[in-house]
Amino acid sequence: MGDRVDDKTIEHDDATLTGSRFFWQRAQLIDRRASQRYARVLLRGPGVASDVGVGQFVLVRYSDDACLPRAFSVMSASDLGLELFVKTEGRVREKFATAPMGTVFEVRGPYGTPYLDKISQDRRYVLVGGGSGAAPLLHFRKRHPSLVAGEVYGFRTGDASSLLREVSLTVESENGQRAHERLASVWRPGLGIIACGPEPMLRLLARAYRQVDDVYVSLEARIGCGIGTCLGCSIETSSGMQRICKEGPLFALRELPWLT
Amino acid sequence: MADVGLARLGIEFPSPVVLASGPAGFGCELASAMAFQRLGALTTKTITLEPRRGNAQPRLVDCPAGALNSIGLENPGYEAFVERVYPKVADLPVRRFFSVAAASVADLCALLHRARALDGFDAIELNLSCPNLGGAIPGADAATVGEYVRAAVSEANLPLLVKLPGDSGNLVQSCDRALTEGASGVTLINSVRGLRVDWTSGQPFLDRMYGGLSGSAILPIALARVFEVRRAFPDVLIVGTGGVNSLGSLLEMLMAGADLVGIGFGLMVDPELPQRLVDELELWMDELGVRAVDELVGTAQRGGLDVH
Repeated sequence: MGDRVDDKTIEHDDATLTGSRFFWQRAQLIDRRASQRYARVLLRGPGVASDVGVGQFVLVRYSDDACLPRAFSVMSASDLGLELFVKTEGRVREKFATAPMGTVFEVRGPYGTPYLDKISQDRRYVLVGGGSGAAPLLHFRKRHPSLVAGEVYGFRTGDASSLLREVSLTVESENGQRAHERLASVWRPGLGIIACGPEPMLRLLARAYRQVDDVYVSLEARIGCGIGTCLGCSIETSSGMQRICKEGPLFALRELPWLT
Repeated sequence: MADVGLARLGIEFPSPVVLASGPAGFGCELASAMAFQRLGALTTKTITLEPRRGNAQPRLVDCPAGALNSIGLENPGYEAFVERVYPKVADLPVRRFFSVAAASVADLCALLHRARALDGFDAIELNLSCPNLGGAIPGADAATVGEYVRAAVSEANLPLLVKLPGDSGNLVQSCDRALTEGASGVTLINSVRGLRVDWTSGQPFLDRMYGGLSGSAILPIALARVFEVRRAFPDVLIVGTGGVNSLGSLLEMLMAGADLVGIGFGLMVDPELPQRLVDELELWMDELGVRAVDELVGTAQRGGLDVH
């Protein structure tokens, strides 16, 4: 008791949750390219949002099961559908790898604050992805190419390279280099960093680049409601508690002193 | 046309479907899309006297048919709630229950004393059963329940509902003490203490080891508690909460003895669920010729459903 709690968790946005942002929408699996551990899937349905800000995520469930849905950052969104890049392990994820074309999933969203609303736009960035954390960064490079100064996409193995031909990957099993190590030769003073990937990668990056201005990291947690009410994804920041699903998923590294 | 409304404690509820405390927050995010007018009531997220940051991540762990949560009553505290959230809550077109918790009887008295100034709530829900605070759960001990309820009734100017745990203590005794001390009803149950172990690390998933299990996994536990308390107290107001996520489970909860049915985890998964349940209940009652919700409440205690 007696802790300071930031206003952000209690000042609610005015009513903006309508349509696909509130209700589950049926979406068919209409395209898939899969490797052993990853898949690039396209979901399409009449109610599924096509206007998705870079960095926003959707919740997906397979049939109306009684568990928590899964959150996925959007890799691209258009009238063709929502494209996701996912690791095919886990309850919903493995369905992406095995379900026949035409299988119906349910989708709601998009949620979260677009990256562009959080970053300083008078700077260029090195994008650093780890595994399926590449998804929102691939969305970023496509929509905001003028803000991109360099890219590093780290993977343990070369498994995903057939799926991500548009970029070059940093593959640890091939040249022994991990994303944060590769970053050292790509980043130069004056550039910002936007990173999305597993927490150990973000911690390594935070230790090395804490003093740099404009470093942003996209955080992950098990998402409950997705709309900011359940506080299942609240995290501590230097300005109080904030929600990954609402104020996030992108946070300035300087707001996260615990990430080391 | 069937009437899904019902009257309890002198209050007309538009339907028996209530948003349980927690997953709905203060209801404000839901305002644009939720058919609040059709809902029985919104129970606001539990407020404590002082702000609470809640527990560290992870706060949610997936489970078969539900999830473990360890939110830890994150809330802005009473003063900030009144200043910044209450005006918005008071505008929502729905009946409202004000959920409160306190670490001591003195804190509870201070909180409820101040809350006397709040208009716009129909009842207070005293949360004596949050499993995520560490230490003893007040609702697990009948004597402690009695102390809290006596203090709350002396300070509050609204009917008092007491939210009790479904998995600890002697529930009928706790209810008895709560009612003897002046509570108007009980909310049964809170999430159930559970544990999951991450077998890749060999450690519990949650920092605090235990969390509260909610979701359809706890439906039978909640039904049993509601049934048991309804049998012991035929006339008390019961808000049955735990694992309801379909018309079938809503009906089960009413038939086991709940007057109102709380939706918690079900809302987290599907924000549309509460309003859909009201619509489905109405259709179902129409089809079967059930005219009033009162015909459904407690049928499992009195020979089953009497279909016209």
